[in-house]
Amino acid sequence: MVREVAESCVDTMLMEMVAMYSGRFYANKPELAARRIEAIGYQVGHQLSERYTMERPRFSDHLEAIKFICKDFWSEVFKKQIDNLKTNHRGTFVLQDNKFRWLSRVSIDPSPEKETEDPLSTPGESKAAQAVSMYLYFPCGIIRGVLSNLGIPCAVSADISSLPTCSFVIRVKA
Amino acid sequence: MIVCVAVVGHQNNPLYIQSFTEADDALKLHHIVHCSLDVIDERVNNPKKSGTTLNEAFLGLLYPTLNYKVYGYLTNTKVKFIMVTTDLDVRDTDVRSFFRKFHAAYVDAVSNPFHVPGKKITSRTFAESVTNIVRSYTFN
Repeated sequence: MVREVAESCVDTMLMEMVAMYSGRFYANKPELAARRIEAIGYQVGHQLSERYTMERPRFSDHLEAIKFICKDFWSEVFKKQIDNLKTNHRGTFVLQDNKFRWLSRVSIDPSPEKETEDPLSTPGESKAAQAVSMYLYFPCGIIRGVLSNLGIPCAVSADISSLPTCSFVIRVKA
Repeated sequence: MIVCVAVVGHQNNPLYIQSFTEADDALKLHHIVHCSLDVIDERVNNPKKSGTTLNEAFLGLLYPTLNYKVYGYLTNTKVKFIMVTTDLDVRDTDVRSFFRKFHAAYVDAVSNPFHVPGKKITSRTFAESVTNIVRSYTFN
């Protein structure tokens, strides 16, 4: 029997987790909040990888493990595959998801204070981007947890170019 | 009859080891399990020498001793499962399905949020389900 959880519950939990850590526990220390959220994701990824790699042969190299994340793991977790995978063949992989599920309902307030005409200083936008990036530490942690459990130590960061497109950058540690 | 099962972590740290005999030979069985770790390492590092299919989790018969047969299984996450049996006529398909169930029980145990990764598995539920799986397999 497969036990399922409503998607709205997961969405709410993610929102609440970010709100708790960045708004209450570590209100003045966003880096610390980010690290805590990433650590939660790491544990989740660690456990999920154990389950989802059960029925498959062992991976022979890094690319195979990354492909597993792009295809099977992503469809198990997000019901879709990664849209684009790029690599420089030297340990850096970029996974692009054109409609990342956990950002699909996030929008940046389209009417920030327009009185500042200077295009270089847009405090409203950068603040919003920072707020959105808080939601990406959890999936980054999940990816790092999966890979390190598969024996690939790495660092994962996320980029948002335009919502809800999102790319995850994986740097494998030599 | 299966006399001993073990789960060993990726740094060869024991996560769970349990023998199922009345006799007081736990130490001997632990020794057998210990020896099999080297065989697993050898199989994985020189896949061409052994006849097993490349990168399959099930490693097959590791080595036969006078009284026992030792089977191994290595997951993607480098966790090793080892099983020692006294049965001499064993079909690979049975062992495969045994390991699959054993692996499933292990996955359920480590998915417990209170389990610390890399530490010994102390869950009583896991011990019970392993005992049930072992009891349900008599290969002859």
